[in-house]
Amino acid sequence: MAQWRGWRKALTVLAFIAPTLIGVLIFNIYPIVFNTYISFTNRNMFHPNPDCSVGMTGILEPTCWAVFHKNALKGLAQPYTLKTPLFGNYIDLLGKFFSGPVLLAVLAILVCFVPLIIAGQINKRFEKRVERPVPAWTVTLGAIILGVLIGFAVNFGAAVNLIAGSGDFFVVNFHSILYVILCIPLFFVVGLALALLLNVKDLPGRTFFRVILIVPWAASTVAIMMSLVWKFFFQDSGLFNMLLRLFSLPTKTWLNYPIYAFAIIVIANVWYSYPFFMVTILGALQSIPGELYEAAEVDGASWWQRLFSITLPLLRPAVIPAIVLSSITTFQMFGTVWAITGGNPSNGAGAPGATDLVMTYAYKQVFQTQAFARTGAFAVIMFIMLFGATLYSLRISRITKGAYD
Amino acid sequence: MNQKTKPLMRVFQLTLAIIATIFAAYPVWFIILASGRTAGRLFSLNLAEVFLPIGFSFENYQAMLFKQPFLIWMRNSLAAAGLTTIACLLIATSAAFAFSRMRFYGREWGLVLFLAIQSFPGVLSLVPIAQLLTAIGAYGKLWGLILAYTTGTLIFCTMNLKGYFDTIPIDLEEAAMIDGCGPVQSFIMIALPLARPALAVTALFAFMAGWGEYVLASVLIPAPDTAKTAMVGLYKMANDINVPWGLFAAGGVMIIIPTLLVFLYLQRYLEGGLTLGGVKG
Repeated sequence: MAQWRGWRKALTVLAFIAPTLIGVLIFNIYPIVFNTYISFTNRNMFHPNPDCSVGMTGILEPTCWAVFHKNALKGLAQPYTLKTPLFGNYIDLLGKFFSGPVLLAVLAILVCFVPLIIAGQINKRFEKRVERPVPAWTVTLGAIILGVLIGFAVNFGAAVNLIAGSGDFFVVNFHSILYVILCIPLFFVVGLALALLLNVKDLPGRTFFRVILIVPWAASTVAIMMSLVWKFFFQDSGLFNMLLRLFSLPTKTWLNYPIYAFAIIVIANVWYSYPFFMVTILGALQSIPGELYEAAEVDGASWWQRLFSITLPLLRPAVIPAIVLSSITTFQMFGTVWAITGGNPSNGAGAPGATDLVMTYAYKQVFQTQAFARTGAFAVIMFIMLFGATLYSLRISRITKGAYD
Repeated sequence: MNQKTKPLMRVFQLTLAIIATIFAAYPVWFIILASGRTAGRLFSLNLAEVFLPIGFSFENYQAMLFKQPFLIWMRNSLAAAGLTTIACLLIATSAAFAFSRMRFYGREWGLVLFLAIQSFPGVLSLVPIAQLLTAIGAYGKLWGLILAYTTGTLIFCTMNLKGYFDTIPIDLEEAAMIDGCGPVQSFIMIALPLARPALAVTALFAFMAGWGEYVLASVLIPAPDTAKTAMVGLYKMANDINVPWGLFAAGGVMIIIPTLLVFLYLQRYLEGGLTLGGVKG
């Protein structure tokens, strides 16, 4: 459409994108702007209502506009105003983080990962060589052992506790990161095992298994329903305890124990998400040329050698984007966790519970504690982090895109 | 890999397959079993009853269909998801076409903006959206929810369709333009018919997203019972100790089974659609 110029072109383009643009502006950008503004105020349970004469409230609160005035909520509570140190909410959330001991603890944690980074660099350098002094997995394993040793030396657990002690923000972020670290390898391992299984050409009932094994993916469209089923399995009078009783084993209220509750939300999430990995890996497996395996067999390679030297390296371009995308969605997991544990077992009112992830915590802060302003600040910080992660994920998927051809 | 599998290997493969099948299908099978059990019969099962539908009764289904507002919930959900899908496609297709085919100032910038918006945690924009809807008098009403859903899936639809338009060769449209076809005509007469598969997949995604959505629906339509969507109604029912769990299970089955069938039927299509368009920017 290159020959379209001037106002006619501008008008055409505008006609095409205006409806979307208006929708996005009002329902996507406005909430972000409003949230950012609220994060600089003291809006909470005691100051819920707008005062249209304060700061930008008159512009940003829709009920302040004359057209919508009749729909405004009339409350007796105090109106909210700008916070006196303007960044007060941010200081509340992050303030204690920027002190000597906590920053030292962060440094200590980072040091534990140095061996892994070095191992990655070493492996990259030797990737293209035929003869290598040591195999890649030895280097990685060595790095992990070294990392764990350093972890003991710098007292990893104490460092994490120190950081967690500097605010709820860090506690829930730590939970979410732990959740991602536990879930993603499980997605991958379960998905890989089942993809390898379905890739066996002469497996009896292969089509049947292929359909049955993606049922959880289909069920994840109504995730909130199926999560209630998972909750029923593990509640006090639930299925799991019934089975234990049938075999005269001791029963427990599983969801009341932090570790078990966390394990249950991990298992439920694995149930939802492994089919995505399975299907992705299966697709990639089928594009690996069979001659590679034949050549390896002639050379006398065992099944494990073929897996580690042919299958896994060739799956990488397909799997890495899946891992990055799943990491971001798992980090933001809400519905499943909310339905199964609701963030419980609780650690007292207002404090994040043992299974509270970033989103469940934020939801509770808004709808139960009504800490609108502080959660606004929380949202802004999360937004910056997640946007960074998204940009990074785009870069990764672009890089790996070329590997297909 | 062409040699015959050893018997031991085959046993191992089948064991793995059966364990995986139980893991994958049991939760869905269980909700079907539970929907046929009334009152206390759900809480004291023997080993056979854990796996088999012994004494299956349709009482829960009857109660659910005729004594609870379940059909109204279903209607609300269908209306919300269906109208959202239609609105979304109507609005997003032209924008996707513009982003794919036209070169204009701020195009790249707009795409980055879309990505940025998508990474804003959705749960946290609930309060401003609820306020907006309150202001225009749509809070607690179905059309308010549809408005929120539509605008919520707009970006996804636009990006997905743009990704597909990018893969359609531009030659056809250029040929049409030489014959004197304007952008509007080339959009309606050439690009749209070509994009039919992508439109179908995007519609399906939008519909599924609206169909299974819980958080927005629970916040934007908190009451009365008859205005709720199926997800919100059933969720409340499952957590209500006065309502037997089997009743919830019956409702759950009536929602999950059609969803499963549609998904499994269109599964190949969905995978294709994911790789066809994709949210790749």
